[in-house]
Amino acid sequence: MTDYSEILKQERNAAWRAELRNAVPNKDRINIERVHMTEAEPHERIKSQTCEVNKGLTPDQARREASRCMDCVNPTCIEGCPVSINIPKFVKYIEAGHFLDAAATLKEFSALPAVCGRVCPQEKQCEAKCFYTQKMKKDPVAIGYLERFAADYERESGKIQVPKVEKRNGIKVAAIGSGPASLSFAGDMIKFGYDVTVFEALHEIGGVLKYGIPEFRLPNAIVDVELDNLRQMGVNFEKNFVVGRTASFEDLKELGYKSFFIGSGAGLPNFMNIPGENLNGVMSSNEYLTRVNLMYANQSDSDTPVLRGKCVAVVGGGNTAMDAVRTSKRLGAERSIIIYRRSRDEMPARLEEIKHAEEEGIEFMNLANPIEYLPNAEGRVAKVRLQRMKLGEPDASGRRKPVPIEGDIVEIDIDLAIVAIGVSPNPLIPACLAGLKMSKWGTIEVNEQTMQSSIPEVFAGGDIVRGGATVILAMGDGRRAAASMHDYLKNRYNL
Amino acid sequence: MINLKTRFFGFELKNPLIVASSSLTADADKIKAFAESGAAAIVLKSVFEEEIINEYNQIGESKSASHFDEFMDYFDYKIRDQVLASYGRLIKAAKEVSKTPIVASINCVSAGDWLQFASQVQDAGADAIELNLFVMPFDPTRRAEDTRRFYIDTVKEITRRVKIPVAVKISSYFSDLAAICHELDGEKLAGITMFNRFTSPDIDIEKEKVIEAGTLSSENEYLLPLRWVGILSPRLKCPIAASTGVHEARHVIKMLLAGASAVQMASAFYKKGPAYIGEILKGLEAWMDKKGYESIGDFKGRLSLTKAANPALYERAQYLSSFGGYAGS
Repeated sequence: MTDYSEILKQERNAAWRAELRNAVPNKDRINIERVHMTEAEPHERIKSQTCEVNKGLTPDQARREASRCMDCVNPTCIEGCPVSINIPKFVKYIEAGHFLDAAATLKEFSALPAVCGRVCPQEKQCEAKCFYTQKMKKDPVAIGYLERFAADYERESGKIQVPKVEKRNGIKVAAIGSGPASLSFAGDMIKFGYDVTVFEALHEIGGVLKYGIPEFRLPNAIVDVELDNLRQMGVNFEKNFVVGRTASFEDLKELGYKSFFIGSGAGLPNFMNIPGENLNGVMSSNEYLTRVNLMYANQSDSDTPVLRGKCVAVVGGGNTAMDAVRTSKRLGAERSIIIYRRSRDEMPARLEEIKHAEEEGIEFMNLANPIEYLPNAEGRVAKVRLQRMKLGEPDASGRRKPVPIEGDIVEIDIDLAIVAIGVSPNPLIPACLAGLKMSKWGTIEVNEQTMQSSIPEVFAGGDIVRGGATVILAMGDGRRAAASMHDYLKNRYNL
Repeated sequence: MINLKTRFFGFELKNPLIVASSSLTADADKIKAFAESGAAAIVLKSVFEEEIINEYNQIGESKSASHFDEFMDYFDYKIRDQVLASYGRLIKAAKEVSKTPIVASINCVSAGDWLQFASQVQDAGADAIELNLFVMPFDPTRRAEDTRRFYIDTVKEITRRVKIPVAVKISSYFSDLAAICHELDGEKLAGITMFNRFTSPDIDIEKEKVIEAGTLSSENEYLLPLRWVGILSPRLKCPIAASTGVHEARHVIKMLLAGASAVQMASAFYKKGPAYIGEILKGLEAWMDKKGYESIGDFKGRLSLTKAANPALYERAQYLSSFGGYAGS
């Protein structure tokens, strides 16, 4: 960290940075209003699952927003980033108009900047630590928008830089799962010179980026460009390959794989286990979103169409809940309702997603918690009984705890309920590895610095380790695991 | 031939001795020992909602979880599911090692989704449920009527959701104990156990630290439940079990004379082990034999409020002349 601080200091003292700082006095920078990103109109965007809501910044908008950054001596924004992206450097490159350099800076730290620019909760991370937020109580520099701009600019310019890779060393390694943790792992390992294969159980690469996040928030085309980049670097992808079923770890070892990274995510939906949850018309957000995002079950010619409710209740207050409820609106629901047991202030979803949901006519029944689903005569869900809540003292998550208001129970009519209250790791892969140390929550226990598991040649990261993680945290895990696996293999095979 | 059969928890018990919910009833080996020693029913260790909250708090303090609100948002459900799964395994294990009725015990401190736990313990094979109803009244904004409504609503909801018998265990901390018992009595209960015994804080004056006081009851504590069993047994339709301070056969006999249908014991078993059940039953039989009673029904409630020759003693709270000659020691 000391080294990094020194590098940051030296970079800040570079002539071009100093010149840029001196060009505009801070009092003028402070007076610039935070940029407003152009958005698709709510009444238009709710007609399409693939119409991206945010339209991105123009180069002029981006440069103006970047000029709000005062290039602080102590860039606290970096402390808010889980992978310590050199934020001032890429922002100042944007201000200077060197957009490709900004993209290159981002790629030094993040394999998926176009993705993170769209889905990271910046308001809780880098932007929460921005000088404007911390000291001036003003809107922070729109770091997330700028990240997205730089990545999009590079992609749209047709000048995507394929990072250099070392000469192949002939050692095969495998990544299991193709979500953000595995992709960032694969990106680093291929640079180090290994033969990298990513095994994906589904028919599409991308993991949660494809099956979990709808295209109105993260277009598949954006993810595909990042995947193409990895392919060009030499990463091999195997789809429809379930490690533990299609082939065992022993089989893969016989095929020459020397080390493994498990990034198989958390694909097992959690339920509340309340009465009526097994009725027809009650499903997990995993099922709902996967079927729409990956299997196109929302299309009229689908062999297995997804249920389209007229009155859809989505339980939860996270990003997945917002994705599900906004999807239901796009699938024609007359009422799409978020049911959340805390208040809006405690919702873990990104503020932007909540705002977009509100604009799209999503109803919010906060401070309410389902206690039972009731059927109609055909055995389909027809009502949900809700326990009204109030807020008590803060709990371990730092947010005020929901407390039931005794006797205050209401019923509302619904015909589809989607449960979005979190996920658990898929138990298949851990079950295939004897001696793999697991937590009682089904996560793989690893050394937090090296991401190495109790089996020396097995590393892990992302949701299978954390239970739940943001994209950027999962990527950080993948990168740390790659560095550690590289050390492990160098020692073992005298590289 | 002396017949010790009685009814509580909605079914016939072979004798009035029930092993109360405690750490003694938290594993299958101990449950087996109590069953083999002659216990009529065994109430498993309570599942405490507070345990779930504590575990949630511990996870929240861990570094990996702290920066991801979405992960923590509903994690209490995950913890609860694990606790319930573990409790379900305990019920199954207890049923496998004994034919003695096994009663699940639920400690509720809040309403809502927690209630559905009752149907899960039913599915796991519990023969009955004992609701351990007690909300510590330290919240200055919580009114007595809120707590009362919570108790009644909880009982209503749970009896609505399960087919197995439901009993409650209450504390004596009510300003209208008789009224609340009457209200509970209207909810098709399979019994009321009085009273719960709670852990208390103490202070270590050397370390100047708050510590947990001794957890076992003492013998003279039986007087409080004895009074209320005597007062309420003739007035309630559902049977009563006496608990707290019942240590010896003579205590059991007193409770039955006051109108209890059964007793729940724990502290005496901590001191003397499961085999002590046999000793108590022998004492009970010997007394019945000496008195010429053939069944529990012959003397149960004989000294309750409505049948005792001097019922005023049950209702008197203030000392009159009994300490008149006290000179100190």
